[in-house]
Amino acid sequence: MSRNDYRTISRRGLLKAMSAGAGMAALAACAPAPTTTSGNESVAGPASEPVTLLLWSSYTGRNGEAEQALVDKFNEEMGDRDLQVDYQVQGNYEETAQKVTAALQAQDAPDVALLSDVWWFKFYLNQTLAPLNDLLESQNVDVTDYHDPLIEEGLRQGVYWWIPFARSTPLFYYNKELFDAAGLPDRGPETWDEFNQWAPDLVSADGDEPEVAAFVHPDSASYIAWLFQGVAWQFGGAYSNPDFTMRMTEDNTVDAGRFYHDTVHAYGWARPSKSIGEDFLNGFSASMMASTGSMGGLRQNAEFEFGTAFLPEQDYFGCCTGGAGLSILNTTDAEKLPLAMDYIAYVSNPENTVFWSKSTGYMPVRKSAATSAEMTSYYEEFPQFKTAVDQLELTRPQDSARVWVPNGDQIIGKGLERVTVLGEDAATVFADVNDTLIAEAAPVLETLAIVEG
Amino acid sequence: MVGTTTRRANTRVSSAERKEWLLFALLVGPNLFLFSVFTYWPLLYNGYLSMVRWDFLGPKVWVGLDNFTHLFTQGDFSFVLWNTFVFTVSAVGLICGLGLAVALLLNRSLLWRDGVRAVVFSPVMLSGAAMGIVWLFILDPRYGLLDILLNYVGLESPNWFLDTRWAMAGVIVVHVWKNLGYAVVIILAGLQAIPRELYEAALVDGAGAWGRFRAVTLPGLSPIFFFLFITTMLASFQSFDIIHVMTEGGPVNATTTLIYNLYDEAFKATRAGRAAVSAVVLFLGMFAITLVQMRFSERRVHYA
Amino acid sequence: MENTAKLTQHSPKHSWQSRTAWRKENAAQFVAPISWVGQRRSRVADGLGYAGMLIVLLMIGLPVYWMTTGAFKFDNEIYQLPPTWWPQQPTLQNFADAWTSVPFGNFYINTIVTTFFGSGFEIFFGVTSAYAFVFLRFPKRDWVFLILLAALMIPNQVTVLPNYLTVARVLGWANTYQGIVLPGASVAYGTFLLRQYYMSLPQEIFDAAKVDGADHLRTMWSVVIPLAKPATISFGLLSIVSKWNDYLWPLIITNREEWYVLPIGIRWLTVQEGYISWGPVMAGTVLVVLPVLVIFLYAQKYIVEGIAAGAVKG
Repeated sequence: MSRNDYRTISRRGLLKAMSAGAGMAALAACAPAPTTTSGNESVAGPASEPVTLLLWSSYTGRNGEAEQALVDKFNEEMGDRDLQVDYQVQGNYEETAQKVTAALQAQDAPDVALLSDVWWFKFYLNQTLAPLNDLLESQNVDVTDYHDPLIEEGLRQGVYWWIPFARSTPLFYYNKELFDAAGLPDRGPETWDEFNQWAPDLVSADGDEPEVAAFVHPDSASYIAWLFQGVAWQFGGAYSNPDFTMRMTEDNTVDAGRFYHDTVHAYGWARPSKSIGEDFLNGFSASMMASTGSMGGLRQNAEFEFGTAFLPEQDYFGCCTGGAGLSILNTTDAEKLPLAMDYIAYVSNPENTVFWSKSTGYMPVRKSAATSAEMTSYYEEFPQFKTAVDQLELTRPQDSARVWVPNGDQIIGKGLERVTVLGEDAATVFADVNDTLIAEAAPVLETLAIVEG
Repeated sequence: MVGTTTRRANTRVSSAERKEWLLFALLVGPNLFLFSVFTYWPLLYNGYLSMVRWDFLGPKVWVGLDNFTHLFTQGDFSFVLWNTFVFTVSAVGLICGLGLAVALLLNRSLLWRDGVRAVVFSPVMLSGAAMGIVWLFILDPRYGLLDILLNYVGLESPNWFLDTRWAMAGVIVVHVWKNLGYAVVIILAGLQAIPRELYEAALVDGAGAWGRFRAVTLPGLSPIFFFLFITTMLASFQSFDIIHVMTEGGPVNATTTLIYNLYDEAFKATRAGRAAVSAVVLFLGMFAITLVQMRFSERRVHYA
Repeated sequence: MENTAKLTQHSPKHSWQSRTAWRKENAAQFVAPISWVGQRRSRVADGLGYAGMLIVLLMIGLPVYWMTTGAFKFDNEIYQLPPTWWPQQPTLQNFADAWTSVPFGNFYINTIVTTFFGSGFEIFFGVTSAYAFVFLRFPKRDWVFLILLAALMIPNQVTVLPNYLTVARVLGWANTYQGIVLPGASVAYGTFLLRQYYMSLPQEIFDAAKVDGADHLRTMWSVVIPLAKPATISFGLLSIVSKWNDYLWPLIITNREEWYVLPIGIRWLTVQEGYISWGPVMAGTVLVVLPVLVIFLYAQKYIVEGIAAGAVKG
């Protein structure tokens, strides 16, 4: 009796040990080695079973609904081709990129991923993206119809890697009611100097803290480094040159930083915010610079009328592009590649571009969409969006320091937080930022030399 | 079977003992095995990772001690160490100090005492992530409960999470709020463990209440206070969920402690090497604390 | 009454010294522990005691109260000034919103499964290892015990990065139950605690069991475990609570919402809408903490004793 007990229990114990050990044997034998990229885990089933494309994306709220609608429409139309897109939201741009990185580790990567301006290059550099030229050709995608500057941002050495989808630019938003109440004209300021004159009228003080600020600065997590990019240019400065020469310490760049500092700590009409969109929507800020991609949500939720305008100028006009595009991971099975391309082409085809732009405020990435009849009538119905499209023509791609240096966006952004939140002098802060950027850029240059020769 | 019986005849004791060895191995083995795979080996592997540069995608590049020199010469990391120090020292001080006060209060025979004890202890049981979110709601400078209460007495809530000093204060408050009950329970247990005769003796000696507190209560609590000190220090060192949901280390890294820095470097900035350095420093810090504990515990053997 | 008697006994009146002593004693009531003989009561001290308790109660309890009432308020009532201390139009809408905007059902199942197995492993390993270390012979047994104890010095946080690489990359266990559970399945502290407890059990019982011819597994099952029931329950409950609330590891090892556990899910609820809608979020936090609160209400004694045991015995 007791013997039996002993044996059954010990066998059970042994089984436990073994089942744990089976998985572990691999580990004891070898340390984690770089993954060999073979997508043999998710072999597409026989033709009768539907093929599933895994899509990872970042949108929530109104933009998420719009993207979901596109996916649903695609799935419906592709139903007879037995192709289904499995759409998964992974958090913001950063989280999505981190999760794609993680998934590449676990050999569990999506087929198509939405990658933001600051992330796609890292995946390119690590040779984890699929080249798209052949696919664009085989799936009959009219590359020339894409807005040239936008699609060229995803072009390296004649190969397309990143197709524009949710591309945006910073835009000046203002609360028409608050502007009117302050006796200001119904337009954005032409220059920062002009805004500096307007702003005191917009601030209504409640004790020490201004209850309503004229302007709000986001934090690094909400891409202050992106919104400040244009300001740096407006002052004649820059983050860097295309060859990774850092320019944070140039007088003009520092002046732009000092201006940001002064808006909070000298003039007192701006304040840092954890959520500029929420502040603007709730009337706590009379204006803001934000992505055109916020327009759909604002239009849906704002209980007041808002206006849009070009970014204010200083010595020059300056405005950058931004947002996200779609890439195919090279872990995708060969037979799924054309299907992945089909999805990308589908959501950025002229008809869907119109739908997407109207719903969200992202830029029409197709020329034929921007000039289509539906779009033209939309411009009349909602001129705020027309302003954004007009401004697109004046924009240019961002400096390499933000988009190509690993974490460049956060390095600059945290520096800007030191200026706006802590009130540190921009010269000191930018000198630190410059050093960090130089150090962080070095490995990229090495890798770039290997990858691109 | 036959073999066993014959051998048993010869060396009965050793055979029984061997059976015990086998059983021991079966009972302890899986536990130790999991520790080797998920605790000991990772510690070593982490040491290796601290000496490479790796973004989780490309090849690992051996850089020797560069990650260490980089972090210790760069301002950001000393800031992280400072934050960790501030967080730990304030949290431990407040938890132990307030814990003592509340425990002494709840040691009195008052009505509803047990109910209040339960309430004080309950946050210890609750998810730090969920409670951090609740506190975000309470500390909101515009419509949070705290602002409302402060307004009653003519004060304004600070803008907790946009001001570097307040942000640190905010996460400390929540951490202390959540862990106070732990200290109270430990100190109450310590109070109960003090022999009554000591009080009687002190009373006979004519000691006043304060005298008895100093002569009996404090010395009687000291071993347990030491234990409490160490455990709360280790817990504060590892506090992650509250910081992650409330501030994500900001603003401007103001609440980035070692553990948060580890997470940030590894899983946001994807710099494995620097994350591993954070882990090494975290480990060494905790190792030092534990060593101190062991040395002192040895001196206090009489208590055990 | 008894107290008064004692007081008069050894504090002779008409002496200014003793009067000061008497006053001192009473004034210092709230710094003196109560459980000693000869405690005196005074209305003032009691009043201060109750005032202190009220303050403590409010400071600790108010956030939880605010969470709970917030969960039942409509949005406009949440932002209303002056605030309402009780939901004017109590609603369950927030719970419905929270439940539909993120897969709370999945969160619950995932948390229950990982807590069940995570604690199950810990309790199993704790009991078996502790038994082995106390009652079984093994060469260099104490050294083995030290090796196990050494794990206490290496907290999970230090090993998250390599473990992430092992579990996600080598084993491919991201977004799996085994990936969430196994790295935390082994137990050192519990082994230590239970070992202490087993060592304190009276030896005669085991001798009796041996005479009855029970072997070790049987002794463990039918003698040691029942005898150590309170300690095992305490340890088990603490394990359950810590698994339920575990945050860093599940955060790292899961990246799809259908695999999130509750603490990750509640944060996901705050970030995935792009802005925080407090009503549903408070409802969500109630959903996260409610099961633990229920366990706590029923088993408070065990949990508190389990925590105190570590201090007094350790």
